[in-house]
Amino acid sequence: MSIFEEVVRWFLDPAHWDGTFGIPNRLWEHVQMSFLATLTAAVLALPVGVLLGHYGRFGNLAINVSNVGRALPSFGILVLAVPLFGIGAAPAFIALVALAIPPIVTNSYVGMRDVDPELKEAARGLGMREHVALLRVEMPVALPVIMAGIRTAGVQVVATATLAAVVAWGGLGRFIVDGFAQRDDVQIFAGAILVAALAMVAELALAGLQWLATPRPMRASMRWFSRPGRTDELVLQGG
Amino acid sequence: MRDWGFRAILSGVLGLSLLASACGSSGGGSPSAGSSGKPIASQMILGGPPECPTRPFCEKGLMDKYGLTFKDFKPLDAGGPLTKAALDRGDIQIGLLFSSDGSIAAKGYVVLNDDKHLQNADNVVPVGRSAALKSDAQTLLNQIDSKLNTSDLAGMNKSADIDKQDPAQIASDYLKKIGVSTSGGGSGKGKITVAGFNFSESSILAQIYGQALKGIGYDVSYKLNLGNREVVEPALEKGDIDLYPGYAATELEFINKAKGEATPDPAATVKLLNGYLQAKGLIALDPSAAQDQNAFAVTKETANKWHLVNLSDLAKNG
Repeated sequence: MSIFEEVVRWFLDPAHWDGTFGIPNRLWEHVQMSFLATLTAAVLALPVGVLLGHYGRFGNLAINVSNVGRALPSFGILVLAVPLFGIGAAPAFIALVALAIPPIVTNSYVGMRDVDPELKEAARGLGMREHVALLRVEMPVALPVIMAGIRTAGVQVVATATLAAVVAWGGLGRFIVDGFAQRDDVQIFAGAILVAALAMVAELALAGLQWLATPRPMRASMRWFSRPGRTDELVLQGG
Repeated sequence: MRDWGFRAILSGVLGLSLLASACGSSGGGSPSAGSSGKPIASQMILGGPPECPTRPFCEKGLMDKYGLTFKDFKPLDAGGPLTKAALDRGDIQIGLLFSSDGSIAAKGYVVLNDDKHLQNADNVVPVGRSAALKSDAQTLLNQIDSKLNTSDLAGMNKSADIDKQDPAQIASDYLKKIGVSTSGGGSGKGKITVAGFNFSESSILAQIYGQALKGIGYDVSYKLNLGNREVVEPALEKGDIDLYPGYAATELEFINKAKGEATPDPAATVKLLNGYLQAKGLIALDPSAAQDQNAFAVTKETANKWHLVNLSDLAKNG
């Protein structure tokens, strides 16, 4: 029997759809962890990136600090966090939040930076106060790029949450880590398929959110699958 | 320009976060203290490698042989830093370590006695090619084996893993301690290549064998950290190496393709092992008293709280 047939059988086995060790529970754990980690990172990183971009000061510092964060391996953070926070959800959450912050800071900074200065002048000319201009003019214009950062972060988090299984937490990584330990190739393969599928769903969902966030007049310039705010390009432009 | 897109995001995020917070809180109850009249094991969380629940020498064996059912199992690593950190923090109450781990003594863990003999005899035993090991070499290695015990091994592992000493230095210190000379035996007795597995205990044992053999005049070279058994054993059969420190029960179950012949008796296990090795021109010498096998450890506080000495104590009510 080929491994593909065995994987199909694995998915058809009702035992793999039930209880703590079943796919639905692992999937739900994975989604919860990814969602909360991305949300926390956004709450922490958005104000920093947006304000730095708005005032245009300390931009290089922000980008560089967050790029250093990007170089930190999640696995390292995970293992280092265990003696401090124990095993399970806490170290995984910390590592994932740390992973998600850099793209959000960078994109929100660059998005705000790239708002046309004439637009800002016009807002002032209309008599808007600074915070009104920030919220009603600059942020809506910058939102597609800001959302692209959240999208990048979210997809990375979904893929990396797999590592949480190393520190005794659940999620879809359980199938991969346990499969390795038990030399069960079928389980590893099935786990990898599930993670890949979830990452794709997350990508599409966040792309949808990004589209919704784009003010209607700007949507025309944005195709569904395009990524106007790819961080690597924008770092070059803005940093 | 309208900012309703922004508002849509905001309300979306808000709604989702409410949903997540409603479902996201999972209760992490701490182990109950004091007497509750339930078996002690059922109040403990076991930590071990992810394969532990299905392995006969791990959780499955504890259930089948001792009748122990734990409150939960946490998949961690095989006696590594995660398991120790989890034990220290109380995330688990009992963890799988290896009996010769130097940190057992250093951290004051209590290894529960395997009073129903679940574990097989994984005693250290030199495995080599009969042609390369002449009778004086065999006598010398057997003499070392007769002295080596688990606490020696744990002490040497602590020197390597915790004090970061060089395995070669640890080995020569040990040979000096047991009165085996590492020099002055002449030369020209032939070449012996000593190999070790990819962990520090194996490097130390290989150095002990190698330095002692050099002491009686063999020309010794080393292939340390060669790999796992799937690499080392075939290298011995091919003649690329001449000797390595093996573990009796694991060697037997490797060579007989896991027939389940190994027992807790080291001498009987090595006898069976030699039955397989002979045809390949290989030999296992006398097993030492030093064992490196699965050991279930608790912290001193846990041992005191429930008066734990043996694994079977975990079946009592506490």
